[in-house]
Amino acid sequence: MGDLFIWLISFFILIALLVLIVYQLMCLADLEFDYINPYDSSSRINKVVLPEFILQGFLCVFYLLTGHWVMALLCGPYLYYNVRLYTQKKHLVDVTEIFNMLPREKKQRLFKLGYLVLLLFFSLFWMIWSTLEDMDD
Amino acid sequence: MGTENPGRPNFPMRPPPGPFASAPPTMTPFSSSRPTPPSAPPTMTPFSSAGPRPPARFSDQSVPPPPVTSVPPAGGPYQQFPTSLFPSTAQAPPIHAPPQGQPSFQPRASQVSASSVSFLPQSQVPPVPMGSSPQSVNFSPSGVNVPQPPTGSLFSGPRPNIQPTFSPPDSSYSATKSTFQPPFPGYPSKKSAVSQAPSPFPAKQGSFMPPPPAPSSPFSSQQGSYAPPPPVAASLGYQSRGQMQHPSSAPPIGGIQSLTEDFSSLSLASLPGSIDPGCDRRTLPRPLDGDVEPSSFTEMYPMNCNPRYLRLTTSGIPSSQSLASRWHLTLGAVVCPLAEDPEGEEVPVINYISTGIIRCRRCRTYVNPYVTFTDAGRKWRCNICALLNDVPGDYFANLDATGRRIDLDQRPELLKGSVEFVAPTDYMNRPPMPPLYFFLIDVSISAVRSGMIGSSLAQPQMMVVSDLDDIFVPLPDDLLVNLSESRNVVETFLDSLPSMFQDNVNVESAFGPAVKAAFMVMSQLGGKLLIFQNTLPSLGVGRLKLRGDDLRAYGTDKEHLLRLPEGSFYKQMAADLTKYQIGVNVYAFSDKYTDIASLGTLAKYTGGQVYYYPNFQSSIHGEKLRHELARDLTRETAWEAVMRIRCGKGIRCTSYHGNFMLRSTDLLALPTVDCDKAYAVQLSLEETLLTTQTVYFQAVLLYPLSGYTASCGERRIRVHTAAAPVVTDLGEMYRQADTGAIFSLFCRLAIEKTLTNKLEDARNSLQLRIVKALREYRNLYAVQHRLGSRMIYPDSLKFLCSYGLALSKSLPLKGGYADAQLDERCAAGFTMMALPVKRLLKLLYPSLIRIDEYLLKPSAQTDDFKNIMKRLPLVAESLDSRGLYIYDDGFRFVIWFGRMLSPDVAKNLLGADFAAELSKVQSLVNEAILVATRLLNRILLNMLFLFCWFLCISERLRSMLRHDEVVLNSPGSFMFPTQVILTEHDNEMSRRLMRILKKLRESDPSYYQLPYLVRQGEQPKEGLLLLVNLLEDQMGGTSGYVDWIMQIHRQVQQNT
Repeated sequence: MGDLFIWLISFFILIALLVLIVYQLMCLADLEFDYINPYDSSSRINKVVLPEFILQGFLCVFYLLTGHWVMALLCGPYLYYNVRLYTQKKHLVDVTEIFNMLPREKKQRLFKLGYLVLLLFFSLFWMIWSTLEDMDD
Repeated sequence: MGTENPGRPNFPMRPPPGPFASAPPTMTPFSSSRPTPPSAPPTMTPFSSAGPRPPARFSDQSVPPPPVTSVPPAGGPYQQFPTSLFPSTAQAPPIHAPPQGQPSFQPRASQVSASSVSFLPQSQVPPVPMGSSPQSVNFSPSGVNVPQPPTGSLFSGPRPNIQPTFSPPDSSYSATKSTFQPPFPGYPSKKSAVSQAPSPFPAKQGSFMPPPPAPSSPFSSQQGSYAPPPPVAASLGYQSRGQMQHPSSAPPIGGIQSLTEDFSSLSLASLPGSIDPGCDRRTLPRPLDGDVEPSSFTEMYPMNCNPRYLRLTTSGIPSSQSLASRWHLTLGAVVCPLAEDPEGEEVPVINYISTGIIRCRRCRTYVNPYVTFTDAGRKWRCNICALLNDVPGDYFANLDATGRRIDLDQRPELLKGSVEFVAPTDYMNRPPMPPLYFFLIDVSISAVRSGMIGSSLAQPQMMVVSDLDDIFVPLPDDLLVNLSESRNVVETFLDSLPSMFQDNVNVESAFGPAVKAAFMVMSQLGGKLLIFQNTLPSLGVGRLKLRGDDLRAYGTDKEHLLRLPEGSFYKQMAADLTKYQIGVNVYAFSDKYTDIASLGTLAKYTGGQVYYYPNFQSSIHGEKLRHELARDLTRETAWEAVMRIRCGKGIRCTSYHGNFMLRSTDLLALPTVDCDKAYAVQLSLEETLLTTQTVYFQAVLLYPLSGYTASCGERRIRVHTAAAPVVTDLGEMYRQADTGAIFSLFCRLAIEKTLTNKLEDARNSLQLRIVKALREYRNLYAVQHRLGSRMIYPDSLKFLCSYGLALSKSLPLKGGYADAQLDERCAAGFTMMALPVKRLLKLLYPSLIRIDEYLLKPSAQTDDFKNIMKRLPLVAESLDSRGLYIYDDGFRFVIWFGRMLSPDVAKNLLGADFAAELSKVQSLVNEAILVATRLLNRILLNMLFLFCWFLCISERLRSMLRHDEVVLNSPGSFMFPTQVILTEHDNEMSRRLMRILKKLRESDPSYYQLPYLVRQGEQPKEGLLLLVNLLEDQMGGTSGYVDWIMQIHRQVQQNT
């Protein structure tokens, strides 16, 4: 029964991460199509960058603490990438160069999105698996 | 080529071949005499070649100091040499004569002449050793210059590569060849080494040897027979080569002429191994006429806007992406929306407020000369997106039989490529604001000491922010004053400013908080913020570290970070300033590192500009500051402007380069914009195939007009429209290329590259672009024509190589960390990012003008200016020691006084006191020469002079080149020690000089060119101010023009 809760929590965290990433992508897309100006776009994005990093780090630690080390390993590369961005101080978008960086920033977030979707499937699988096991008991 | 000064005194001094020829004694004397330890006796030969070289330099005098090592030997060998030569002469009499006799190769022959000749005969004995070790060691530098070893001709091996067409040498040739081969094994290898290795020898003089006295060569004319290679090392074999080459080269030439219609070419062919010789430096293309605007642009489409507003890198737009990908010079445009109009060519202003401005419904294009009216005048078709729009009733006019509107001549917007519409109120989100100038002045102690504050800043609103961590602004409204109402207050304040802070010993500068405060005050109105900064910001937010002094960062992967702003404060601040329509101009006056990279960011993203006055002293730079500040405040300025460039269907603007901030993907936000700012844009094809015949571009600048000259409070829309044909042929693209626009774009790309890469990478990528472009062009013609080893290029790009070299030697890109101070580099980078095409080209290839003849001419008319404004090539040999020259790069004048210039001239121009001082300066060198003159004969004099020169000058210059960050940092120590304020004296000559300077300044009013006076031989000042700027010379490890062309040529030929 405990496992089910663990998977549920990770499921919600993943959903939250997905929302954050999609939100950033939307800001970038809006910027590209001139719906918002670069100032708003970059400040909106920058506002959620850190929460995203922290949440993702928390998820990784959470997996580790609950003994799901395979999932923790899967989160590893993502975490490493974030940490590297942060230490290089490249995690925030630069309002002055945002248009030149647009393609890169978008690509980066699309990759993250795919990665998170993959993780989501894994955690869904494990959630179902553990419910089934619970029912068997 | 103005280079040649027939009258040059020194020339004669050059060792005539005659002496050499005298005795055959051979090597022994040599070896013994050689002082230089490094080289074994055998090594002598190389030296000997050097020997002759020095004298030549000498004659130039202006030439940078020759390599130290070679000096001493020179004297010895020199004398001895003469003897040996004769035998050789007998064999090849023509050789000596060379200058006149051998056309294409003359330069070579002449340069080498004396020494080289002599060697041939001798070479048999000693040569062997030379070839191998000594050469490589001593000459490595020279090797650089000479892509192909001069000796190469001797070697059959090298030759083939270079010149396929080369015909077999005559018998004599082969004979010589055989003899020599053994000696020079080392040479061929040199070729490869050519590249960039920094040479110990600062100078590449060798290559510069004075031009042959009478070189008119048949070939030179068209193809510029170009045998680039520097003669330096190649002592031997020259003569023989000379003979041989002639025949061999001839055939290609004939072919060339037939081809001339298609392209221009340089017969680099030179002899195979002998590149150097063949290259006639004087016939290399040089942009001595400055910028030439492409005529085809307006000829084909007379209704296009003037090229001063908009220039395309090529007026032939490629019809397909595959074609575009073969155009390596980047597809793009340079827009200067507010370029100054000459009298009588003002942009017509049209008022359509009542009817509304006619624009395309879909793409919002403004009506322009290229729209077509149909349906009896009731509809018009947009030329950009091809949409059919209705003509509003007020604008309706019938069409005549040819389909033209009958009211065409009353509609300037349908006739001219550049018009200004008066915009209705809904075009801006707020009414135009009064122009606001906000002065932010650094009052720390160094500012007070330098006199910066004392200068007369007689302009509007001003506020001094001392420093606070938590900035608040008391009563923002009261801080801003209306100039006309409170002029007295302002003036009183200005007067008291120096005294208020005269006792200030505060060395700290709270720059960040000050900018924030200014931002708060100005955010309501927007305007222009002028920042006068003297020290590194050290307090509060935005404080900066002395990172420029950290030598460890240079040359590493982190080097580029020094050219980027530190932290995010400055970028964020710049973005905020732009958002509130505040433009920033930074005036930096520092004797120490001030981190222009960070400060300049404020200007970069707000459409501003960086003025940098290193080592500011108000007595010297005051005038410059006054002019440039006045220009800044009074030139017509557009506030809160936005600019958009629309392109016809299938074309898209991909990136923008310049000082501005993008507000959306294609909208440039320009808080302030004026006539001195240009913006570059790169274009790309959106569709694989363009179906239209013509592509249109429209650059639109929307701005409320305010300022001193025009009616305030009006909104204006300036529209520049241009059309360019779509072409399917790469050759046509090349024919329509515009070198000025290309380099404007290249320059910005290269500077941006230095922000993310090493300097060297930026230079290499520039070179690669040029090589690719020329290779592509060569491939176009390689099939039909036997190009041999000639270098071909379209006539429109004949200056591609010279500007390429100039750009890679320009301040933001040149050398390594020691070649320019970081701040200077960054300041120059910011400046060049905004320069209009003409000024950029002038900065890249400055003008060098000889004026002493004009000054001395008894009856000179004022309208004679055109005659004297003959620009000379930027080589040391352009400088005649009897002359007076002005070097003008648009930012400063360097006035060079030749050593032999009559003292009267100096006295007249500078006044008696200074003239005396001027002559004192170089007393050291001069005295040595005087002594030498009495004691020795001419040849000996040459040698001695050389010797003195080496000791006195090259040591200093070299040490300067190596440690210049140390020297440069000591304020005013030698940078401009004898700087004088050039004042008009009461004599005709002085008046004429001032007239010339005035005239030159008028041609480029955006900066004030401060004259720097330099006396020939006055080191290191001369080296710093002038010699390093002679960009065709080889200096401190950079290649000279000839080597550069050879390098490019070689790379072009690879992989073709």
